[in-house]
Amino acid sequence: MLKTLLDAFALISTWEVIIAMFAASVYGLVIGSLPGLSATMATALLVPVTFYLSPIAAIATIVAASSMAIFSGDIPGALLRIPGTPASAAYADEAYAMTRKGQAELALGAGVWFSAVGGIAGVLSLMILAPPLAEIALSFSTFEYFWLALLGLMCATLVARSSPVKAIAGMFIGLLVSCIGIENPGGVPRFTFGITDLFGGIEPIPALVGVFAVAQVMRAMLTPEPPPLPRRKFGSIMAGQWKLTKLYHWQMTRGNIVGIIIGVLPGAGADMAAWVSYAMSKRFSKEPEKFGTGHVEGLVEAGASNNASIASGWVPSLLFGIPGDTIAAIAIGVLYMKGLNPGPTLFTEKASSMYAIYLMFIIANILMIPLGIAMIRVAAYILLAPRSTVMPIIMLCCAVGSFAIGNNMFGVVTVAAFGVIGYVMEANGYPVAAMVLGIVMGTMVEQAFVTSLIKSDGSILPFFERPVAAILAAMAIGALLWPVMVWVWRKLKQPQTVVATSR
Amino acid sequence: MRLPDSVTGSFLVVLGAAAAYGGWILPPVPGQPVGPNVFPLLIGMGLALCGLAIVFGVGHSFEEEEELVPLEDGQAAAPPPQGKLQGKLYGLRALLPPALLLFYVLAADRLGFIITAAIMVYVTSTALGAKWKLALPLAALSPFAIHLIFGKLLRVPLPAGLLPTPW
Repeated sequence: MLKTLLDAFALISTWEVIIAMFAASVYGLVIGSLPGLSATMATALLVPVTFYLSPIAAIATIVAASSMAIFSGDIPGALLRIPGTPASAAYADEAYAMTRKGQAELALGAGVWFSAVGGIAGVLSLMILAPPLAEIALSFSTFEYFWLALLGLMCATLVARSSPVKAIAGMFIGLLVSCIGIENPGGVPRFTFGITDLFGGIEPIPALVGVFAVAQVMRAMLTPEPPPLPRRKFGSIMAGQWKLTKLYHWQMTRGNIVGIIIGVLPGAGADMAAWVSYAMSKRFSKEPEKFGTGHVEGLVEAGASNNASIASGWVPSLLFGIPGDTIAAIAIGVLYMKGLNPGPTLFTEKASSMYAIYLMFIIANILMIPLGIAMIRVAAYILLAPRSTVMPIIMLCCAVGSFAIGNNMFGVVTVAAFGVIGYVMEANGYPVAAMVLGIVMGTMVEQAFVTSLIKSDGSILPFFERPVAAILAAMAIGALLWPVMVWVWRKLKQPQTVVATSR
Repeated sequence: MRLPDSVTGSFLVVLGAAAAYGGWILPPVPGQPVGPNVFPLLIGMGLALCGLAIVFGVGHSFEEEEELVPLEDGQAAAPPPQGKLQGKLYGLRALLPPALLLFYVLAADRLGFIITAAIMVYVTSTALGAKWKLALPLAALSPFAIHLIFGKLLRVPLPAGLLPTPW
């Protein structure tokens, strides 16, 4: 244990890791603070750069950039009422109301402080949850993996803030995309239409870059430019945060726990965590009437929640290759590329690398406090950059980055195609995250499914015979039927209320 | 780009049916009961079913709360500034980024990275409302910066084309 910890320290105390982490932190803070550029996009655009780094440095950049971007989305949220990332959308109104009351320092300070605390709580959950789950997961056969993957996909459709049917359709589209290529049980070209470039299948990373970056540039073409940030002098940012921690320690803990749970659920990430925690804070508050008028309580809980979900999203990713959120979906791609294939054996064979990941998360969250304060003070200058200078650079990075992944132009075509697909889906209420999950997990679902079917000689029964498999199966089927039950319940309730009012 | 549910749903039915058929006609693997054809067949059928459900408006009641959620960039979809004047053409502007990426694919090998990138930056920047005073220097400088990072530092083989970089 101690030796692994020392090994982990040795792994991260190289100049490469330190510089990569610092640079990625600054990058994450800047991208996160620019409205319209999300944390997922920041991470996706980092991937081509990670190719040229050592495995630990590559993961360091992702860990640092994603944590920082989620916090710095709070900055324009509080100062302009425009959230920098979707994860800050839940409480942007509240934070802006505080700024108008002259409490901008308190709102932003709460953002930094409780984000850092939440992030560290998330890491602790990763450290505590992952190893025992890995023990259990070692005994999993393909049947369990199949149900687990299915459960993950179903969770993603359940938590989508849209019609569950559209979410399931999105998931199927993603699975269909993963069918392309010759990497299938028969090794035959499938849906390649004779195009050689399609033989290797659709790479998840260019698809993600398209969905999250190009689609965003497309949306920017049709939306007006956000207003510039008023320049202002800030007082002490951290003043009063300790008092808030003591006053709202219960809310903070609840935010952490909710964030951790939502992070572990596949497909649900920081934005979901913030929405749920903010709503919960209002529901259980002693003074709910103050919410919306510039009250810090909801900020504390939601800020503690969205950063906690970032680290706990890595739990299913590292254990099973099932992404906890869209950022983790990208991280999985990088892990595979770097030879750290997700799976329970990662915790025994590459234990020092796992400890290194924990340590990097902790360092990133501590680093967030000084860098975050600096960022708040210079944010007014960074946000001066008009969209018409930022978006073209993003476009160039998309083109060059997707080319760099395989050194061929087909990657660029993939990015363009998925930009259009992502844009159209989003505009019509089809959740993009469900499709992304389908693309990332498709090969794994199919392998587990077909191998299980071959083992069982075409029979369905063995899918339910093993105890763990049966439990997972019940959960997956329950998740599938849940929207139906909600719908039936609503239908049953509706006539009664109609009758009641008509009398 | 908001299409009626009946259109997107019908499209999914067609896509799902095509996928299922495509899976069906794949050759089976000799001596293996389950081959590469099973998975696309199931997915295609599932997708077609979802498409049908969407056409008939199943699950639409869940979408109501979506209106409360801001878009990813945090703004409600505001009406375009000169929307009425340009009408339908305005919506097509959204297709500019993917079109520019395809232009990059076609032109980069012949024109070289620097020139193609400069054109992309200039067009995107102007489309987003930048004056030429801003767009031109940006288009002149940013390709070199990107080339320095990706081409020089990360050794991505970017095409030189007509204008080789000085390094």
